[in-house]
Amino acid sequence: MTAWPLRWARRNLFATPLDGALSLLVIPTGLWLIYALAVWACRDAQWSVLGDSMRVMMVGVYPADALWRAWTAAVILAALAGATVGLVVKDDPFALLGGAALGILVCASLLAGRDLADAGWAAVACLAAAAGWLAMAKLPATRRALPLAWLLGFALAGGIFAGPGFDAWGGLLLSIILTIAVSALTLPLGILLALGRQSRIASLRICCTAYIEVFRAVPLILVVYWVWIVVPLLLPDLSVSGVVRGVVGYTVFFCAYVAEYVRSGLQAVPRGQVEAARSLGMGTWTLNTQVVLPQAIKVVIPALVGNMLDIFNAATLVFIIGLTDFLRAGQMILADPRFGNLTYEVYAFLFLVYFAIGSLITFTARSLEGSLATGR
Amino acid sequence: MSPIVTFSAVDKFYGSFQVLRGIDLEVARGEVVVVIGASGSGKSTLIRCVNGLEMYQRGRLVVDGYDMPNAEDRELVGEKGLADIRKGVGMVFQQFNLFPHKTVLENIALAPVRVRKKSRHEAEATARRLLARVGLESQAAKYPAQLSGGQQQRVAIARSLAMEPHVMLFDEPTSALDPEMVGEVLDVMRELAAEGMTMMIVTHEMGFAREVADRVVYIDRGSILEVGSPQAIFDTPQNERTQMFLSRVLKH
Repeated sequence: MTAWPLRWARRNLFATPLDGALSLLVIPTGLWLIYALAVWACRDAQWSVLGDSMRVMMVGVYPADALWRAWTAAVILAALAGATVGLVVKDDPFALLGGAALGILVCASLLAGRDLADAGWAAVACLAAAAGWLAMAKLPATRRALPLAWLLGFALAGGIFAGPGFDAWGGLLLSIILTIAVSALTLPLGILLALGRQSRIASLRICCTAYIEVFRAVPLILVVYWVWIVVPLLLPDLSVSGVVRGVVGYTVFFCAYVAEYVRSGLQAVPRGQVEAARSLGMGTWTLNTQVVLPQAIKVVIPALVGNMLDIFNAATLVFIIGLTDFLRAGQMILADPRFGNLTYEVYAFLFLVYFAIGSLITFTARSLEGSLATGR
Repeated sequence: MSPIVTFSAVDKFYGSFQVLRGIDLEVARGEVVVVIGASGSGKSTLIRCVNGLEMYQRGRLVVDGYDMPNAEDRELVGEKGLADIRKGVGMVFQQFNLFPHKTVLENIALAPVRVRKKSRHEAEATARRLLARVGLESQAAKYPAQLSGGQQQRVAIARSLAMEPHVMLFDEPTSALDPEMVGEVLDVMRELAAEGMTMMIVTHEMGFAREVADRVVYIDRGSILEVGSPQAIFDTPQNERTQMFLSRVLKH
């Protein structure tokens, strides 16, 4: 009897001649790529650039004496993120190991930067995430408090971070806060647009449909740019910061997409549900808030989480309106003559962080999909 | 006392296809009317008009003292005025249509709290009483998907009763059920009838119709062909098509 690795390889890699040929091509190439990457990462790369520039990549040009504000905001957000993951991942060992490894990696990389205070803060943030996860996964009673916790926690984090003014915001923390703010704002607006599109009041229906179709047909960056230009025209006496204008632009754009997701959810609610609610004498408000929307939103939660990933990735475009997001911060570091030749190191780090956060979001979306499909 | 439901020469169309033709029917308070007929004959449409889930184009329909708006009026006023009428008209569907994201208790208490503006405490007490009445007091905390079809339909009946309706409409309440569960639902309906609830029932359960109905209505291609006591309809049907229909359904 052949050992199982051989049988596995026979079945999966060399089942047909074409299969075998492709395997012979792909496997050595892949191994060589991994080897080359490992050699570079372990021998040639100068990772010290990350330690030196970590602060800029995380918070941009945030004033150094107010750094505790940024860290406090990060700790609050970490706790909330941990709690949200705990909602869907309760005891998947791989996920937990992955999370722990990520936390250790973050702290270790900061320790390598020889900044003890930062490493300490990072450890606190990781512990906060773990605590949030524990509370949510092990104490189901805390679940109901999560939306409120998000609202208060996010407002608090934003308020603390905004101490030196919105214009100081930058780096990864800006990207994350932008993503959360836009996601949170687009949901209610998207729901209203979706309901408006189904309204029997023609003027409302036409306006909502036009809005959705227009903003789905134009590129994001045009909308962001346009808002950036128009806001000062409408409010000439008010200096609105770039961050706020960015949030408005992204919200204006993405709520059209959320509206379409919600609409697909509304269509998934059986007609009988509406008929039953109507038969009980419910008005349109009660019908929607109590019967239709809870079911519709549940159907589209995975899509909405996916939309959040789109927002996060699209947040890289805010550099066009002069903001220093995570990607832009990395480029700023490369503009420094000391680090000018360390392009690969910086971009490899950007790639890894985007990949880690993006994977976390898609992983959450998939777990949600699974638990919503099987559960009630 | 005036009848609770009065159809006068009601016509209904789907596009150019006429579903109901000149319906004249009165239902007295406390009366149990069973509507029978082949599938596609318009019997479901008939009772769905009573609470405005379907619109009619011509004629007049008075329910519980309200003039039901016809299709033309509905285009102008929408669903608004209908909610008031529907508070007093309960409806039980073939597919139960319980709210899947709410527990059994929440399903029953939702409309009394939101529509009748009762306190949650009072509504839940009533809900528990109604659950006991349909024999499901132990299921209050479950979700609909955790119940059998027969149990779900009994919850649906309790949900309608929680609004204290003056008339109950049943649209093939046992057609989606496994045969062994039909009896438990019919038992609940039988009890309701005995307590004097006004009921309009569309059903294929002829034995039940004969036992419970005060009057049986035979409808065919959108017209009422025959109305009478169960004995008159089932034993001595006058219309030829009624005879044919009954010979088909009573054979087995």
